[in-house]
Amino acid sequence: MSPMSLALLIFGVMLVLMVVRVPIAGAMFVAGTVGMILQADLKTFLSFTNNVAYTRLASYDLSVIPLFILMGHFATQGGISKALFGFAAAVMGRFKGGLAMGAVLACAAFGAICGSSVATAATITGVALPEMRRHGYSGRLSTGTLAAGGTLGILIPPSVPLVIYAILTEQNIAKLFAAAMLPGVIAMVGYMIAIAIYVRLVPGQAPEHDEAPRLTAEALKGVVPIAIIFIVVFGGIYEGFFTPTEGAAVGAAATFIAALMKGELTRDKLLHCFYATALSSAMIFMIFIGADVMNAALARTQVPAQLAELVGGMSIPPLAIVGGILLLYVLLGAVMDELSMLLLTIPIFFPIIMKLDFGMSAEHTAIWFGIMVLMTVGFGMLAPPVGLNVYVVNGMAKDVPLAESYRGITPFLVSDTLRTLLLLFFPGISLYLVGVLT
Amino acid sequence: MPAPNMKLLEPIAKTLSILGGLLMVGVMLMTCYSLIGRNFLQSPLIGDFELTAIGCGMAMALFMPYCQLKRENIMVDFFTARMPASTNAKLDRMGSLLMTALYGVLGWRAGFGAVRAYEGEGASMLIGFPDWIVYACMCVGLSVAALMALAQVLGMVAEQEEHAA
Repeated sequence: MSPMSLALLIFGVMLVLMVVRVPIAGAMFVAGTVGMILQADLKTFLSFTNNVAYTRLASYDLSVIPLFILMGHFATQGGISKALFGFAAAVMGRFKGGLAMGAVLACAAFGAICGSSVATAATITGVALPEMRRHGYSGRLSTGTLAAGGTLGILIPPSVPLVIYAILTEQNIAKLFAAAMLPGVIAMVGYMIAIAIYVRLVPGQAPEHDEAPRLTAEALKGVVPIAIIFIVVFGGIYEGFFTPTEGAAVGAAATFIAALMKGELTRDKLLHCFYATALSSAMIFMIFIGADVMNAALARTQVPAQLAELVGGMSIPPLAIVGGILLLYVLLGAVMDELSMLLLTIPIFFPIIMKLDFGMSAEHTAIWFGIMVLMTVGFGMLAPPVGLNVYVVNGMAKDVPLAESYRGITPFLVSDTLRTLLLLFFPGISLYLVGVLT
Repeated sequence: MPAPNMKLLEPIAKTLSILGGLLMVGVMLMTCYSLIGRNFLQSPLIGDFELTAIGCGMAMALFMPYCQLKRENIMVDFFTARMPASTNAKLDRMGSLLMTALYGVLGWRAGFGAVRAYEGEGASMLIGFPDWIVYACMCVGLSVAALMALAQVLGMVAEQEEHAA
């Protein structure tokens, strides 16, 4: 069999299995197994599997993922969100659509200690949705806002998808986090602008005047624990006191203490943190293992390397290639989970990107492309037919039809698109803080 | 196969994930201790990175059975969303069968690794933590996950839906 037809066969097996509901980790593992046995033999495959679990599971660099996930769940269960939303609503309350803007601000602040978009969306929805509905916000605008706001959980560091990108491409996690900060703030402001325009264009979505709660010293307290945790974690990382993995452990400990001080972390909630951490980290690590086997089989065919040579030799403008890849991500993300998509495609696309000349150093190119990829991941969490965030938020709003929630995300998808184009054409926005902080 | 034994799988999976969670809390506390020692007391904890990797590695394996119990291993349901529930249930059994094979192979190789490490007295570089313990722990997590997936193929565990959020 020629290398190309082998590579296609491996991909084909994986796609067929994926279409028929086989978990993505299993589909990649089986496809990789078939590919490896066809190219070598069973013995080679078995000796490869000897260490695949050990190297992936017991890896210092990867430990950062479950630690950030645990930190996020401590924050979710710790009762931090209610006071936080109170603060955000007081800050934004004076504007038209202020409560929706407050929800975005609360998501952004929560995103500063939580690296998952679904957890951020669910946590802030729990406190913000009843308030927004009570004040006369439409189901469409409130669920749309919260689903979109949830993506700030991954756009603002810490960010699990960004950590995965860093590991796959062997880039510095701290630098990628620094690069994500300005785009994250731009995303937050962009969402607020989207709300301001939307409530003026479409009548009946938000009340004319919010009864804005006042910004008192009491309300200010809502944001204090989060600010302290964020400053300790990222200050420590950028001042060189600790590595990102240690930062995640410190952050988890600090969030744990904050939750204890709130007095909300009961035994049941603590167990829930463990269960929830078990679910999301085991899921991610299984995909890692499946992708390892699949990528090892693909790498043996040499097709990914040849593909990179081929594309690098073509006279297509580099930005057009990046644009094409991002567009493909949006399409792929419409049907599959974003993390699996990264694990599947980054090993193939990243070498291509690194062969292109963008007039930047290799490291800057890698960081900028990571931020671009992160933007499409956020987009995929919202866009139909399967926007995970929209599902989660809609599931918590019993009286809002799913179609209404999808209508509600339109202004935010426009904002996402404009921001992605901005960051695509101006890499300096992402790279600015990398130079300042590290 | 006696069905009552399969009923034990759920509490076992829960217990293992609590153990995993406690391991992670251990890593968390150890890191804080190590950082205080390194940055303020000039007495760094030797092998803290190793302990983190080992602790989290064992925790990840112990998390697997619960993830399989809840069917949280992510899949694409876009193409089969309109099919009858019974067809999807059959497809899910096939999926679980493949997951049984996946966990089974990994668990078997981890068990093999444990024996090899025990005989070769392999240990981590700095603090000499025996490798076989890590392998054995992974073998346990992955094997229970394999049993869990097998029980789902045979329709012996009640289906449950719950999301991580």
